[in-house]
Amino acid sequence: MLDAIQFSTWAEFIDMGGYGFNVWSVYALFAILVAANLILPWRKKQKIVRQLRHRLTLDAEIQSEDSSDGD
Amino acid sequence: MWVWFSKLGSPKWFYELSGKWLPWLIAAMVIFMTIGLVWGLVFLPPDYQQGFTSRILIVHVAVAGTSLAFFPLMLVAGTITLVWRMKLADMVAKHAAILGAWFSFITLATGSLWGSVMWGTWWEWTDSRLVSMLFQLFLLLGVISLRSALEDSETAAKACALLSIVGCINVVIIKYSVEWWNTLHQVASPVSLDPSSPNGPQFWIATLIMIVAVYLFLSVSLILSTRNEILERERRSQWVQDLVLKN
Amino acid sequence: MTEKQTTTSAAFLATLKRDLLIAFKKKNDIVNPFMFFIIVVSLFPIGISPESDRLTEIAAGVIWISVLLASMLSMDNLYRSDFEDGSLEQLLLSPHPLFFLVLAKNISHWLVSGLPVVLVSPILAYMLALPTEAYGTLVLSLLLGTPIMSLVGSIAVALTVGLGSRGLILAVITLPMSVPVLIFGTLAVQSTLNSQSPVGYLSLMLVMLSVSVSLAPLASAAALKISVN
Repeated sequence: MLDAIQFSTWAEFIDMGGYGFNVWSVYALFAILVAANLILPWRKKQKIVRQLRHRLTLDAEIQSEDSSDGD
Repeated sequence: MWVWFSKLGSPKWFYELSGKWLPWLIAAMVIFMTIGLVWGLVFLPPDYQQGFTSRILIVHVAVAGTSLAFFPLMLVAGTITLVWRMKLADMVAKHAAILGAWFSFITLATGSLWGSVMWGTWWEWTDSRLVSMLFQLFLLLGVISLRSALEDSETAAKACALLSIVGCINVVIIKYSVEWWNTLHQVASPVSLDPSSPNGPQFWIATLIMIVAVYLFLSVSLILSTRNEILERERRSQWVQDLVLKN
Repeated sequence: MTEKQTTTSAAFLATLKRDLLIAFKKKNDIVNPFMFFIIVVSLFPIGISPESDRLTEIAAGVIWISVLLASMLSMDNLYRSDFEDGSLEQLLLSPHPLFFLVLAKNISHWLVSGLPVVLVSPILAYMLALPTEAYGTLVLSLLLGTPIMSLVGSIAVALTVGLGSRGLILAVITLPMSVPVLIFGTLAVQSTLNSQSPVGYLSLMLVMLSVSVSLAPLASAAALKISVN
């Protein structure tokens, strides 16, 4: 397994046979694609749930106040 | 079959079912992506022609191949929206357009990063795949801007569905006409652009793994966005309110 | 309403006649696309080069792209005024198949904004130093290509007819769709210049035209129903 590793030093790994910039840029772009399209929907969900819960608790409070007024 | 179909159209049913699937899909995505990326970056031997740039191709081919799936997906979703008026199909279509634009853009960017090594230039009009991908991006941006322009969500759903169907037909025509145009304007390209040039089985297995990983990522991201859309559009319904208050 | 039954062909002709009459009364609809086309074409030699060799090379492309822009900009009014004065709703309520009524409107749009531009194109081709032998091909390709643009553009116009300010959205939607027409139109002229036969490209454009005539009005009609509902 370890024989199959194509690099012996870190510098070689970064350099990618002279194409370091291109190779790493492509992997960076791919990472951005994946991260953005998983994190953004995830954060959106947090936001939606937070807002909705906030609104619902407000509604519940108003309702309970109304009903206590009625007593 | 019909019961299943109309059930799937119910946002609540989809929300619950996708909630059960998500952990498995995410797990599979993480596994495939880790194997693909580690193999691509660490183990893949350099190609005898292209050196380590074959590492670019693994990612590029996976993203490019997957980005071809968006217009067919939107065609199906659009047809379902127009014929059966299923809300869920529109929610998927909305986010498919956005994700498709992301994919097309990354395809173009990684393609030109590869091209800058192979052709010595960042942009090459003689590569018909780059050119038709550019126009696919434009068409997707058209669908997105149409949706953001139309305020009424019912109208927007149907209008975007129709535009997606027209756009899908157009993408196919554009692809073939650009290919034709390209063969006539062919300037001798420096290296064979054909990705099927000898790369060895290792390369293809790694690419295949990445393709599976990218498809899994696409499904996960699309499901996450669709679930958000369901929560937003159905926020007045009892089941969403129960769900939000529960956890 | 009177119970007078009209045939579909009469309704088709009536729509066509009405649209042409309105266009000729307003005049702007005819003059503006035409002027726009001439002005845009005239800007290219100033921006690129006055040398006839370089102009010859770009002539076909410049004329084709200017035609596309002119046809797209003139499209804005295709359903707009009808939508505003309510006659579009009348059109949708008519008992005749919407397909033919939409087709009549598209034909009228082409006659008013497409045809004049095509007819004047040889003069501009001369100004751009296009060799004389390519004039025939240029005009023929434009004759086949501009109706396709009217038909396909009509779908986008119909989709956006309800929008208050459309601005550039029409261009963003329509222009990418014009790529195949642009490719075959310019290739036809190019092949004439290389003393090859343009018949293949022109017949491909004819195929595209007949497909657009039979399918695009369907999509436009559906789009109008969506926008007006």
